[in-house]
Amino acid sequence: MPHNGATESHSHVDVATRPLRRIELLANCSLSARDARRLFALCAGSALTVAACCVANGYWPVLPFAGLELVLLGFALAVSLKRRHYVQTVDIGETGITITTRDSHGERATRFSRHWAKVTLRDPRGWQPSRLLIESHGRACEIGAFLTEERRRALGRRLSALVGRGSDLPALEPAGREDSRDCGEQ
Amino acid sequence: MAHADTHAHDDHHEHKPSGIGRWLFATNHKDIGTMYLVFALGMFFLGGAMALLIRLELFKPGMQYFDPQFYNSLVTTHALVMIFGAVMPAFVGLANWMIPMQIGAPDMALPRMNNYSFWILPFAFTLLLSSFATAGGGPAGGWTLYPPLSLQGGTSFPLTIFAIHLMGASSIMGAINVIVTIMNMRAPGMTLLKLPLFCWTWLITAYLLIAVMPVLAGAVTMLLTDHFFGTSFFNPAGGGDPVMFQHIFWFFGHPEVYILILPAFGIVSEIIPTFSRKPLFGYDAMVYATASIAFLSFIVWAHHMFTVGMPLAGQMFFMLSTMLIAVPTGVKVFNWTTTMWRGSLSFEPPMLFALAFLFLFTIGGFSGLMLAIAPADFQYQDTYFVVAHFHYVLVPGAVFAIMAGVYFWLPKWTGHMYDMALAKWHFWLSSISVNVLFFPQHFLGLAGMPRRIPDYNTQFTDWNMVSSVGGLVFGVSQLLFVWVIVKCVSSGERATDKVWSDAMPLGLEWTLPSPAPYHSFEDAPEVK
Repeated sequence: MPHNGATESHSHVDVATRPLRRIELLANCSLSARDARRLFALCAGSALTVAACCVANGYWPVLPFAGLELVLLGFALAVSLKRRHYVQTVDIGETGITITTRDSHGERATRFSRHWAKVTLRDPRGWQPSRLLIESHGRACEIGAFLTEERRRALGRRLSALVGRGSDLPALEPAGREDSRDCGEQ
Repeated sequence: MAHADTHAHDDHHEHKPSGIGRWLFATNHKDIGTMYLVFALGMFFLGGAMALLIRLELFKPGMQYFDPQFYNSLVTTHALVMIFGAVMPAFVGLANWMIPMQIGAPDMALPRMNNYSFWILPFAFTLLLSSFATAGGGPAGGWTLYPPLSLQGGTSFPLTIFAIHLMGASSIMGAINVIVTIMNMRAPGMTLLKLPLFCWTWLITAYLLIAVMPVLAGAVTMLLTDHFFGTSFFNPAGGGDPVMFQHIFWFFGHPEVYILILPAFGIVSEIIPTFSRKPLFGYDAMVYATASIAFLSFIVWAHHMFTVGMPLAGQMFFMLSTMLIAVPTGVKVFNWTTTMWRGSLSFEPPMLFALAFLFLFTIGGFSGLMLAIAPADFQYQDTYFVVAHFHYVLVPGAVFAIMAGVYFWLPKWTGHMYDMALAKWHFWLSSISVNVLFFPQHFLGLAGMPRRIPDYNTQFTDWNMVSSVGGLVFGVSQLLFVWVIVKCVSSGERATDKVWSDAMPLGLEWTLPSPAPYHSFEDAPEVK
């Protein structure tokens, strides 16, 4: 996600230079939105039928607990399902890096000069997991927020190798696309 | 200037938080699973100590050590601690450890909620057990909390209600996490009918929890408002009905029995095929049988209360629906037995515990069928026969399955093999003593000894003595279980990745190294 005034665009990316390497990050989701609705309906149907029987007999305090529980279930499903919309693409060209993030809010692209960009992995703090960032000139873009720690660290090493260090930019051979499919963390 | 600024420790393959923060803020499924299992073990010993005190008092007739109020408190809290503190958290711990590994996910779907659901438990049980220090002592109305008796509990009453609310909240969060994880985080290719049976049984258990937990929460809240806010949900003087509490409670309580046993079915369904070196016989039938048991559990609740005086049609309905449960349960027992048929069996500790489960749970099932017969139940109601029945279901049933699961997966968790000889000693001592402990209680019940009584007629002395001796041996032999685990963690031989490589362990968890990495699957595996 873009931070600190990162450049954003809402159209398809116009990469300054032709991307030589592409890393695509996808979340693994086995549940479709339709199946999630069915699942929720099944759970809600059972819990609310029972609660309705209790209410019909005058034992209404069962209903708010059933409602609270279903709100929590719905929230949990919604949070978990959000991942299925989340795709992040890192295009690394000879001179530029473009990070395209697609989620339920749409598509955003952030561009950096490869010469100035640096890859930073910030340590986890308390509840917060580590953060993998590409930074330059006070701008930063977070990558792979939904990945596991190990996966994020491996991606950090990979990006460091591809982005390189200032005057020591590694030559990039066109190598197609790298996929990283993972079930991320909340 | 551009440079790569990944930290030096990035090269470590596993980044684990350390110190107390690792456990307080744990979001890793293995850490949380470990905390659940350790908590459950602690509660198992606490509840077990209470059981030993009960058996000590019942060793001979007459009042020996405790006053009746304290005895009743022991009986009540023993049940609450064992059900909500030992068996349920142990299954949640196993679910936390195994479900992500079995479905090819890196972690549970909602790791922070997972943390909350665990950390609620110590507070809940502190609240419950602190009631022993209040005026009037601990809760003494039985774990079923029937009014009006439970309403006379003094200060312990609201503490118990709040504790139950917290336990319920923890269970609900755990159940939601399990459902979302299994449904949304399966590896590509892992269709529902390829799920390991442990996951299937947990999925159905979680569904049951979601369906019935609000009923428990509502019921205990109504008790609270009847006591403190002048409502009359269960007070006949205000137009309420105390028998309705029993209906509502058992509408939760009977599915709760299956919540305690369905994951056990799943564990046994993993172990028996492995050590029979054959695939499970009738996988689909096992799934449908589990679902059928779950459905039937909603329509049998009143068999717990045949003696309250219900219409004959009601008795017939609940008697027949209860008996119907024997059909899917029979399918399961048949399938486990058929899996072993002509298999190349070996008898490692997990298999021994699974076999003991199979035999002894079936005894509990048969005594359940006897209790399902309404006219016979009039005789058995509130006797030690009922105590023998549900302890056969819960101890050599649920608890043995948990032990089987621990012995099955412990090398995968720790990366070390345990001492097989000690584990077999643990098995034989437990299996013999559990029968010495609970089988005589059938005789006591059939002879008419009532339950929840600290003193009894001298004619019941002999079998009570036998039962108490069995209880002592069973309790002491569980120390061996702890020793086996401690020894395994501290100095066991290295386990291979496959662990039971000369058997036939199936499932994604065996494709991971031993010990399993901090996050199970960095890349989702492809399931064919």
